[in-house]
Amino acid sequence: MTDASFLIGLADATVSASTVLILAGLGELISERAGILNLGVEGMILVGALSGVVATVMTGSYWIGFAVGSICGLLTATIHAFLCISLKADQAISGIMLTLLGTGVTTYFGQQWASAQFTGFPDRTLPVIGGLLVEIPLLGPTVFEGPATDFVALGLVVAVWWLLTRTNLGLEMISVGEDPETADTMGIDVFRMRYLAVLIGGLLAGAAGAHLSLAFNGIWTNNIAAGQGWIAVALVIFARWRPGRLLFGAYLFGLFNSLRLRSQSLDLALGPESPLAGLLNPVIEFLLNPAIMSMYPYIVTLVVLVATIVLRRDDDSAQPAALVQAYSREAD
Amino acid sequence: MLVDIEIDAREQTPSWIAYGTPLFAIAAALAVSVVALVAIGVNPIAAYVEMFLRPFGTVATISNVLVRATPLILVGLGVYLPMKAGLWNIGAEGQLLAGAIVGTWIAINVTLPQLLVIPVILFGSAIAGGLWAFIPAWLRAKWGISEIITTLLFTFIAADIQLYLVRGPMQGGSGGFPQTELLPEAAEFPAIPGTRAHVGLLVALLIVVLVYVAMNRTRFGFRVNFVGSNADAAEQAGMSRYRVYLLTLVAGGALAGLAGISEIAGNQSRLHASFAPGYGYTAVPIALLGRNGVFRMLLAALFFALLFVGGNRVTVAMEVPSAIIDIVQALVILFLITAEFFQRYRLSVSIGRRDDGRSIRGTEVTTDD
Repeated sequence: MTDASFLIGLADATVSASTVLILAGLGELISERAGILNLGVEGMILVGALSGVVATVMTGSYWIGFAVGSICGLLTATIHAFLCISLKADQAISGIMLTLLGTGVTTYFGQQWASAQFTGFPDRTLPVIGGLLVEIPLLGPTVFEGPATDFVALGLVVAVWWLLTRTNLGLEMISVGEDPETADTMGIDVFRMRYLAVLIGGLLAGAAGAHLSLAFNGIWTNNIAAGQGWIAVALVIFARWRPGRLLFGAYLFGLFNSLRLRSQSLDLALGPESPLAGLLNPVIEFLLNPAIMSMYPYIVTLVVLVATIVLRRDDDSAQPAALVQAYSREAD
Repeated sequence: MLVDIEIDAREQTPSWIAYGTPLFAIAAALAVSVVALVAIGVNPIAAYVEMFLRPFGTVATISNVLVRATPLILVGLGVYLPMKAGLWNIGAEGQLLAGAIVGTWIAINVTLPQLLVIPVILFGSAIAGGLWAFIPAWLRAKWGISEIITTLLFTFIAADIQLYLVRGPMQGGSGGFPQTELLPEAAEFPAIPGTRAHVGLLVALLIVVLVYVAMNRTRFGFRVNFVGSNADAAEQAGMSRYRVYLLTLVAGGALAGLAGISEIAGNQSRLHASFAPGYGYTAVPIALLGRNGVFRMLLAALFFALLFVGGNRVTVAMEVPSAIIDIVQALVILFLITAEFFQRYRLSVSIGRRDDGRSIRGTEVTTDD
């Protein structure tokens, strides 16, 4: 059962499936580090996916489609930013309603694009060194061959890590998510910084959507995000707000997903000669059920969320202190 | 020339603004949705007449609205009650599913006379919904872990369990569809004579009254309101935030659980994969729109029931995609939270004059009645 082709297929599917989570998760991570929870990611992914398809069909260029999808995600995030930052509305409510709006609008207008034909991102290798990298057994074809958006996502992990830990802009962004009052007294424009973070978050969510429809699925279908935006929200908690761990988490959740899709061919049941077969086989069968497997990311996230708080293992990269808190300049 | 925009916190919200805000939000949402209707070549006036007036045409159509309203009232209360304590039960959908699953299981597997079995089913569903909210409630009360995230995570888990059950262990009926077998006749909620509405509606209305009494006439209600408006002050006054959080969120889960089974036993007769079109999520807009009193929440539930029924009518009659329901729902709340800013702050624009340049002040004015 664990032959090489199964493993390669599994690894390949895992890496492909994780790109959506990486892009959307990085966006959510930036937004949350600046103190704004964005539960609208699912909606922004959908908006990015549909607008990406529309633009690709109209212009014939999947790169333009990708850009348009990203920008439409950003525009949706503008509503969230305006409501939560300028109007100090409740972040959870605004986000959930944007997910509902994004689902509604894309379903409403998406019907006619469901059969649209277009050329999406082809699989390719990196220029110059790509040919060599693909020769690496197992790792080569899975990581170094794929749609260009896969490489964009991996590059962004490094870029976001660099932004948040090595640049002034990133440190200012983090400071408005930790202690906006102090940041303000130090001369950082809290409102502008938070806007910037939410808009980048929307841009990346839109990019995740455009990747989903233009590279991963190659077609638009209603509700194409299928809950991946919610998994991205969970992923940020799982990753404890760190880009590196987010990459690991995205692969782990991607692995759950590709295992689930292949669960039919997974045969981990104990042979009849094993004394524990009668006891354990029903358990194994239950745990490998596709419906049960799709809840693993949520359970893992719950466990991480609870464990870090209960065991007080909160390190410097734990939850931003001012997350979900609106900021106003107090006059008194 | 100087244009000076000044934002001031209001000391007191004028009552016309407090009462007018929900109506403004609905009107604005319908006005924007005209764009969506015109974009697909539908006459918006005809569509709105079909959506919001035709359902009042006959007793049968009115009872359709009441059938839709029944789970929405119950699950709306399930979000409303914790909201009064300052908690967001965003995952009412999960508690609704838990109630539906356990209630259906009892209905199929426990054979009792109708007068006995229905209370047992209701009780079991309420317990299931309450238990599903218990862990998030406990995590919030004891450890301060955001109930927004945990109730959501529990919702996704409940949805997967439901799928697992209707495809596997609880699958029944012919054709191998992802659904259970039909509920036995004794377990079906009896209809109110002459209508399609069922006793679940009476249960829901009774609970609305009970919640009203509990919130406005008892010490429990006083505590919930106190914790909800200022948890630290309440704690200093000797009230246990822990107990209030635990009680309201678990009670909210129980009410959401009742909503789940009332939809199955009162309307759909079996549990299937998509029996609840997001009622648990709609509960959040309902509670928000009616946040200033339980009877206003009841009105909000009736409005969203009308929206669901009307949305299905325009889908059938005018081929408007049923997603119009989601669009209107989301816009109502987005406009509501926009308008609420103007409940709290006064905006004044003055030209050519400059005064002391006061900026936004964070004083919150509650508008509870």
